[in-house]
Amino acid sequence: MKGYRKYFGKKILWFFITLIAALILNFILPRLMPADPVSAITGKMASGMTDASAVQEIYKRYEAEFGTNKPMLTQFFIFLKNLMHGDLGTSFSQYPRKVSDIISSAIGWTICLQLPAILVGWLLGNLLGALAAYIRKGFDKVLLPVALFMSNVPAFGMAVTLLVLFAVKLKIAPIAGGYAFDMIPNMSWRFVRSVITHYQLPFWSIVLVSIGGQAIGMRSMSIYELNADYVKYARFLGIKDRKIVGYVFRNAMLPQVTGLAMSIGTMIGGALVAEIIFSYPGLGSTMYSAVTAADYPLISATTLIITIMVLVVTFLLDIIYGFIDPRVKAAQFDS
Amino acid sequence: MKKILAMLLALSMVVSLAPAAFANADVSELPREETLYFAGQQWGTVLSWNIMGTNQNNSMAIAGGPSGYRTLMFETLFMYNFMNGEIIGLLADSYEWNEDLTKVTVVLKDAAKWCDGTPVTAEDVVKTWDVSVQVGNTAGTTYGAYIDSIEAVDEKTLVINAKLDGEGRPVNPLKVTDFLTGSPIAQAAWIDALVERNGGDAVSILNDPGDDVIWSGPYTKYYADDQKVVLIRDDNYWGQDASMWGKLPVPKYIAHTIYADNPAGELALKAGEVDVCQQFIGNIQDLWLKDELPISTYYEEAPYGVCLTMPTAWYNMNLPVLAENAALRKAIAIAVDYDTIIANAMTNQSPSFAEVPRSLMNPTDGEQALYDHDAVADLQWAGNDIEGAIALLDEAGLVDTDNDGWREYNGEKISLNAVCPNGWTDWQASMEVVAAAGDKIGVEITTLYPEWDIYQTVFTNPNQTEYAIYMWSPEAASPSNPWTRVNQFLGKDYVGVENNWSGNWGQYVNEEADAIIKQIPLETDEAELRALYTKLTEIYLTEVPSFSLMYRPSLFHAVNESVWTNFPAGDDGRNIPPADCTDGYGIAALYELELVD
Amino acid sequence: MKNTIRQVFHSSKFLVGFIIFVAILLTVWIYPFFNPGNPLEMIGVGTFAKPGTYVSLYDALNTRTETLRLPDADHKRVSYLLSDADRVSMLEWFDIMDIDVSGLDATDTDALLDLWFKNYDPSVKPKGMTQAKRNFYKRLDKSVQQIRMADTLKVMHPEEGELVERSSVTKTDYVNVGDVANVKALPLGTDNFGRDVLKELVSATGTSIIIGLIAGIVATLIGLTLGLLAGYVGGLVDDIIMFITNIFTVIPSFVLLILISYSIGQEQRGATVVALVIGLTSWTWTTRSVRSQVISLRSRDHVNLSKLSGHSLVRIIVTDILPYIASYVVMAFILQVSSGILSEAQLSLLGLGPKTTVTPTLGLMMNWAMLYSAHTNGSWWAYFPVILTITLISFSLNLMNTGLDQVFNPTLRD
Repeated sequence: MKGYRKYFGKKILWFFITLIAALILNFILPRLMPADPVSAITGKMASGMTDASAVQEIYKRYEAEFGTNKPMLTQFFIFLKNLMHGDLGTSFSQYPRKVSDIISSAIGWTICLQLPAILVGWLLGNLLGALAAYIRKGFDKVLLPVALFMSNVPAFGMAVTLLVLFAVKLKIAPIAGGYAFDMIPNMSWRFVRSVITHYQLPFWSIVLVSIGGQAIGMRSMSIYELNADYVKYARFLGIKDRKIVGYVFRNAMLPQVTGLAMSIGTMIGGALVAEIIFSYPGLGSTMYSAVTAADYPLISATTLIITIMVLVVTFLLDIIYGFIDPRVKAAQFDS
Repeated sequence: MKKILAMLLALSMVVSLAPAAFANADVSELPREETLYFAGQQWGTVLSWNIMGTNQNNSMAIAGGPSGYRTLMFETLFMYNFMNGEIIGLLADSYEWNEDLTKVTVVLKDAAKWCDGTPVTAEDVVKTWDVSVQVGNTAGTTYGAYIDSIEAVDEKTLVINAKLDGEGRPVNPLKVTDFLTGSPIAQAAWIDALVERNGGDAVSILNDPGDDVIWSGPYTKYYADDQKVVLIRDDNYWGQDASMWGKLPVPKYIAHTIYADNPAGELALKAGEVDVCQQFIGNIQDLWLKDELPISTYYEEAPYGVCLTMPTAWYNMNLPVLAENAALRKAIAIAVDYDTIIANAMTNQSPSFAEVPRSLMNPTDGEQALYDHDAVADLQWAGNDIEGAIALLDEAGLVDTDNDGWREYNGEKISLNAVCPNGWTDWQASMEVVAAAGDKIGVEITTLYPEWDIYQTVFTNPNQTEYAIYMWSPEAASPSNPWTRVNQFLGKDYVGVENNWSGNWGQYVNEEADAIIKQIPLETDEAELRALYTKLTEIYLTEVPSFSLMYRPSLFHAVNESVWTNFPAGDDGRNIPPADCTDGYGIAALYELELVD
Repeated sequence: MKNTIRQVFHSSKFLVGFIIFVAILLTVWIYPFFNPGNPLEMIGVGTFAKPGTYVSLYDALNTRTETLRLPDADHKRVSYLLSDADRVSMLEWFDIMDIDVSGLDATDTDALLDLWFKNYDPSVKPKGMTQAKRNFYKRLDKSVQQIRMADTLKVMHPEEGELVERSSVTKTDYVNVGDVANVKALPLGTDNFGRDVLKELVSATGTSIIIGLIAGIVATLIGLTLGLLAGYVGGLVDDIIMFITNIFTVIPSFVLLILISYSIGQEQRGATVVALVIGLTSWTWTTRSVRSQVISLRSRDHVNLSKLSGHSLVRIIVTDILPYIASYVVMAFILQVSSGILSEAQLSLLGLGPKTTVTPTLGLMMNWAMLYSAHTNGSWWAYFPVILTITLISFSLNLMNTGLDQVFNPTLRD
């Protein structure tokens, strides 16, 4: 048990060091952008003004409010202090809206779009990959290249193609948004159906692209495991084929689970293209508009969410591996 | 399995949205035949309904457009019609200037009422003005330099005192007229409550969400989230009185879906999910010629709309090579191929410079009549005159002395950049054409497309030397135009102003022109006015401190007639401007819409 | 070595991928010889001319004509100007205007047109008719007027203030396309700037492959160096390198890419700079995998032997470790190239790609097509070939990679 404690202690220490480094990067990187967002807000207000001192006054007012007139280090500590209270600051581009307010209204859409898409893509991909490895022959010959081709269509290419094909040409799918243009969110059955129809194209644009990569990975891992010594040995011992296959795929799944966890961690970045092309509400499009408007607090917040999600996922993976993978287990007791 | 999963997810989304929905609306679906849908006005979530505030990002309710104020929810004293320059009463009945143009007396309409049933009084206008100046909102800062004070005479009469210069003359009566059509009025009682709950602090007053705001217009807020904003008709609207419209506007709901970008809005227009579209749509004729959709524009032929402004390339006078060489400025301007710009960037939705010769005026008949075309005909150019440009440069001694293919000035290669914000596609295409013209006349011009945030920081800085040729549009239409626009082209007021969003972005100084500009607002004799504008045009075309690249509507106006019809059109004789049925007198269209049967 | 290469080319997957990739490279190299000139030249004044062959009308008038009497020429001409749907619309107009159409055969063009010209008035505004429909009838009227144009059209030329007839064209005049002085084939039409899409696409493909190569080389070099150091030296060096790698993994490279590209600003963002930035943000997984490979190698006997013989660090790495991971590094490199091309496209689509006007890249072409709504206005030629090209390049590289994988990992072999 001592080995475990040492292992976890070390992992937790690294987790915190990485978190702090990531916080610093998240704070600094957006602020390195050359634009002056305070002047953008001032500009919106001051258009039409001829009085120079009045403009300067407005500028100073906002500068003080956002704290951009303070030294970077002070700003960082204010940022940390507010973060402790769950306060992510005020958005520049959507001033005076709170960043936490913007994020909370967007994050639900992103998770609802991405999580199922990632899961379905992963499940279908692994199923196909496993089948390809197990059946081989023609299935493999046809499936692998097709899957590979699909996975190489760039995400925006898939999204645009689906949009043009199903929404513009065939007119069987809605063109944009999270729900029908003539509806107001409510609990009715019609609204739910509208949400589901609007969900289809963005959903499939993500699934179709991700199936291929998963299938190829799973196929390789499965073949690798099928040819492993323990399988031959098990066959030699006369263990039932079905049982062996069960073991094989369980082992092959392990790295695939890592992949799944990582894509869940990075899903906000992955949602970017689909959300923009389908005008789908969510964090991806929020992040995009934040970047183009040099909205530091909003950029910091979105990248922070991604960072923390990835950190947590990798941390959990490390912990889980510590328990289940005998090879990692062995390594701990070695050292 | 997947179906169930999708169902569950949809449900969870609905649950997370539901509280907001129930708080705001009691109808779950907007009946298509009672709703007028818009696109191209609202980008991003509505932030506030506070008419006295700033940064509301609320384009349907609070927006002063270049063709008049959007009076759906908050109303101005008068409405402006840019088709004929008429000023039509809204909250007010009439206005009258005194002899010296120092005071204007405004009489309010008897019928004008707030949504709570109380009458609109002179006190409301006074309070709106006083607090606007005090907190420094858009109205206060825009008109503060021209209006000294507003006084109530009696309940329905008020006097606006113009600011006077050192000699006791009004600074600019034209701008005071702009206030009449361009500035919305709020209720005094509500303003008092607003000021009180914010303890009189200017910043918190400006940032107050204003959810309890009192309005006077025909529509009010109904629902808003990050995907749409909906206004609902106020059936108690005072304007159904015979002294105003005599009826209610036809659509019960005004809805605007928030699209991610132009293509999304364009798709929605094509699908009939949008009735009125304020977006630039390239090759718009394809929508009816190729796609055979029931879509139309104000005019059936190019330029399809009414162009009110002219996106312009400004020369940076902080750069000696530009400031000292009028020949260089003119040479570049006459070498540019404007027909390509108009065909490409505007897909011909602009008259050419052969059709409407360049001047300080927009292409409307009213402004064109303000200068003598024949007097300046020799100075005008239609573009793509490479030989003329080369001759001009050679004559001015700007020649290639070291045979590197590029001309030199004082021994140094003339190297300029042509700049506009990244992603502003039509302008970027124009800058490409400007650069190509430079290539042909031996002047190196490279294009530069910084992000918008950087661009706006630099081009509003009066001392910048980073950009040589850069784009911005002057004012479009209002009672004070073309004067305001002319002042933006040639006026000295803006030179040296920090954070200059107002005009003369090239920092050009011409004392003679400036004197004429100062003279115009006080001039009432039409012949004299025409002479002054002609003189200014002459100076502008000789000195070329900037050059316009195209004419452009300030509002695009494309309508899909699959549900609603009887939108304003060029040949219908009604003189309702194509202002998206919302701006200035354009709102009159809302009262005359009909359903397609 | 020779044997390995033979093996590699025996893999059908590698071979197919290789052939596709080489075909793309050859096209990039050879096509400009057939269609030389600046790929960014704006030849069209308007936007999105559709694919096809364009014949100069002006020159055609000066080309020697042949008279051809084609039996269905008149019919084709009329139905181009007046379709069956248009005939129905005309009948609707008569109906709205309460005009007696009894005895009218709508397929009888002459009778229909007679009635039309007699009754159509563009200034009439029938109650309930939309503006769009009224405009449609105005256009239809213009169109059918051309059916009644004279059999011979005259070409006039102004001479000394007077129009002088130079030639005339009749309905039976034909020219051979080969004889016309100016004929331009635009197999993929033009884009929003009026540029020849095919020419631009070929040039952009070249640039994008170079961007991918630079990004791939940078990422692989950094990844390889750090991975080797971390894996072989171990200890504190390993800890530090892994710490940095972890941070760069935790902040997703795409986010980094966006932030850095934005900070650099458009004026500095040439294609090479973009490629470097992509390379600098995508090395982490190469580092990780190289490191784990090296760790498993470093306690092998031949490495220990070298150590005992006192060989330098560099020599051990170059002679005893690199050869064993070379195949792996090549595969990682190929993947980096393909993801570099994708990253450029993705960045450009967000408006953060290379400067617009210097060199075309696949991402920029896509970006401009989307900005001008090519996908909504049906100009497929401006964006679909771009998507297809990116997919094909990426597909061929990945196919090669899979082939290599099977050769170098015997357990994966069929």
